[in-house]
Amino acid sequence: MRARILMTAAVLLQFLVAPAFAANKDVVDGPLLDGGVVRPAEHQARASVPATFSHDKAIRQIPQINPGEYFIPPQIQDIPTSKYGQMVEQGRRIFTDTQRYAGRYVGNGLNCSSCHLQEGRKAYASPMWAAYPMYPQFRNKTRSVMTFEERLQDCFKYSMNGIAPTLDSPEIKALSAYAHWLSKGAPINQELPGRGFARLSKPRDPNSINGEKLYRENCAICHGVDGQGQKFAKRAGYMFPPLWGRNSFNRAAGMSTIKDCAQFTKANMPLGKGWTLTDMDAWDICTYIWIQDRPSDPRFGWLMNAIMPPVGGN
Amino acid sequence: MRGRKWVVTLLLLGAGLLGAWAMADSQQKQPVDGSMSMDDLPELDTLETHVSMQAPKETLPNELTVVPVVSPGEYHVPPPIEDIPESKYGDMVNFGRNIFINTQKYAKRYVGNGLNCANCHLQEGRKPFAAPLWAAYPMYPMYREKSHQVVTFQERLQDCFKYSLNGIAPTLDSDEIKALTVYAQWLSTDIPNGTIVAGRGFARIDKSHDPSPFNGKVIYQQYCAMCHGEDMLGKKFADRPGYMFPPLAGADSYNKGAGMHKIKTCASFVKANMPLGRPYTLTDDQALEVCVHIWQQDRPWNPKKSMFMNMFMPVTEG
Amino acid sequence: MLVLGMLLFAVAGCKHGSGDKPLITEGERLATKGEGAVPACASCHGEKGEGNGAAGFPRLAGLNKDYLAKQLQDMAREKPPEGVVMEPVARDYSKTPRVNSDLTAFSPGLRHSPVMSPLARGLSEQQINAVSAYYASLSFTAKPLPADFQTLERGADLALRGKPEYGLPACISCHAPNGEGFGADFPPLAGQPPKYLIDQIDKWQTGERDNDPLALMKAVANQLTDADKINVAAYFANRTLVVKGQ
Repeated sequence: MRARILMTAAVLLQFLVAPAFAANKDVVDGPLLDGGVVRPAEHQARASVPATFSHDKAIRQIPQINPGEYFIPPQIQDIPTSKYGQMVEQGRRIFTDTQRYAGRYVGNGLNCSSCHLQEGRKAYASPMWAAYPMYPQFRNKTRSVMTFEERLQDCFKYSMNGIAPTLDSPEIKALSAYAHWLSKGAPINQELPGRGFARLSKPRDPNSINGEKLYRENCAICHGVDGQGQKFAKRAGYMFPPLWGRNSFNRAAGMSTIKDCAQFTKANMPLGKGWTLTDMDAWDICTYIWIQDRPSDPRFGWLMNAIMPPVGGN
Repeated sequence: MRGRKWVVTLLLLGAGLLGAWAMADSQQKQPVDGSMSMDDLPELDTLETHVSMQAPKETLPNELTVVPVVSPGEYHVPPPIEDIPESKYGDMVNFGRNIFINTQKYAKRYVGNGLNCANCHLQEGRKPFAAPLWAAYPMYPMYREKSHQVVTFQERLQDCFKYSLNGIAPTLDSDEIKALTVYAQWLSTDIPNGTIVAGRGFARIDKSHDPSPFNGKVIYQQYCAMCHGEDMLGKKFADRPGYMFPPLAGADSYNKGAGMHKIKTCASFVKANMPLGRPYTLTDDQALEVCVHIWQQDRPWNPKKSMFMNMFMPVTEG
Repeated sequence: MLVLGMLLFAVAGCKHGSGDKPLITEGERLATKGEGAVPACASCHGEKGEGNGAAGFPRLAGLNKDYLAKQLQDMAREKPPEGVVMEPVARDYSKTPRVNSDLTAFSPGLRHSPVMSPLARGLSEQQINAVSAYYASLSFTAKPLPADFQTLERGADLALRGKPEYGLPACISCHAPNGEGFGADFPPLAGQPPKYLIDQIDKWQTGERDNDPLALMKAVANQLTDADKINVAAYFANRTLVVKGQ
């Protein structure tokens, strides 16, 4: 509870002291990671995944993935050369390059595959093959049973901070076809391992000060100290997606709730080193991300957005 | 003054003619029905025993084509009704099921004829080879020749409303479409997504010769007329609205844009499902012939075509 | 013209209504008192044709007139000589050269019952029609029989959905929702003693009863297990039912 009040206060404060806060950023101590500089590891040399990385050894568990444990979606080269296959390919293009193929519906700098990693295939990064067979399902967020197409609309509205394509638009249809193709062979209405995000424990209330420190250690190399991601030098779009700011997801997105963000971070981040952060680290980092400024919740008016504590804090 | 009188007279005359025509029409029906069973159709007498010309056979249904033996586990078994969860999701499943088996009540405003979904998708959409929902849902989105594009399951449902139910399609975000989708998804629990499962769609049939409409009439009277009526208009309940046996022709039946209006689709349905409880008793050719007879009957127009096209264009679905 | 038409309808209606009256009174006399060697129907089938649950005698009240008449005629029918096969469906001889005037074979059906067959043989066609008309004119209100939840649930499953994976249709798809019966071909299941329903399915399986149109019920009965029979009979005995006599 105390943490919640603190976080709310922090969110409110940033409107008032944002400039000063930004100026004092490098006051927080900790190694500033520079992508260009190679330096020796501070820790002992290790043969495999870090063993002493975690602060809490009891919680740290790196799951061993056995072949066949997770559903394997079909290969790209197996997309049929039919009208259906064309739709699947179009869906994949939209999924991996939303900025270009569905740009008019998108209000920020993200692609679908910014969160649904590896073209929507990666387990515990809410893979399409685990989501599609579960829809239509009841969602607490909308308090109604939603079809997969309507769920896609919500992604456009919140995570892409844009405008939802209509249910019969070619974009929604192509994305549905792509998800349908990815989940070919997955049993319908069955929870598959790897669905959604990882499950986390929460030993204590998260701490955004610790989160900032961890963010700079683990995340800032790609997403930038300012969380704005990194753009390509020679072409449009982001190489590393922004985590906050006007080109990121908005306040109503699932990733804007600390829990979803932490669960995602635990299993996937830093990219290629999933499961290396402790559960508590993930909570801390995501609290830090959550208190940053980002596009407002389109479900509420501007007054509510300014006054009300943002959702997703617990 | 004079002109007004003329108009009144004309109106009266017109009304009279209309009435006379209606009366004549209703009176004509009697002889038409009578002449059906006059000469070249076998007289069906329930009370007389006749000795068969055929050699005696051991079993009752004679000259069966191959009746497939169903072994357990061959077809998908959808979850039982008792397993519908008690949640919002379960409520939608129940609503979808209600719409499915009693479309006349739960989605009446979208339906233009007397049919329910379950009239063709037999046994609440569960029966294999009667276009079961559990075999259809995992295949969508799918490319359809009929609409020349990839359609989602919801759009496919809209087509059912437009053609088979001769009505107006509910919007894609309407509760009706959503509930039906939820029901279909629940029925297809555990089926691998995107795979063709046994029992999908209708039975496959072979055509050995061009079907004759005259045989179809005889077969219809023997096998179908008992339930669907001599006039093919189905049979209504005596004490409540709705059809006990669905109409196969006429204003309360599917329209000319429906899949069932295609002779091949109709025949593959008939082959595997009709007469109800005795599937696979008709031969492939008999099924085709009876469907030609059904196809020839009058029914609502194809809404995809205008009035003149419906009247003058050569029919293609045969 | 409209007036004329209405008049015609009215006349036709009166004719229809008045035609049945004497038949019903004759049937009532037969049913309550019996005649000659034929005992009163009411002695087994109940005072008001409500049947006898313990003995498995069916209810007759409110059943379709034509259905009752057909059953009596089928019971009265002698077994055909050996080697003659009753065909369930009229055959299509339109392509066969015709030798005799009628070569159609249509099974009128056999329904053998050690008790009923001799009695039915004692009735004339007029009497059969009369007693059928009488019982069709009676009203009937079913008393639902309690059964345990599991039996009812299984019975309901079979009655409402059948066994789709085996191609067995649901009971209600012919016998009307709630098992009320429909027309002359599909008798009611609700309001019948469960013992009677089970007995009849048994008879179809053994071939003792063989008088269903298109042999539909035979095909269905052959797929029912003993448990199915018990469950589904319990389900239909559990239905509420109010039938108004015609």
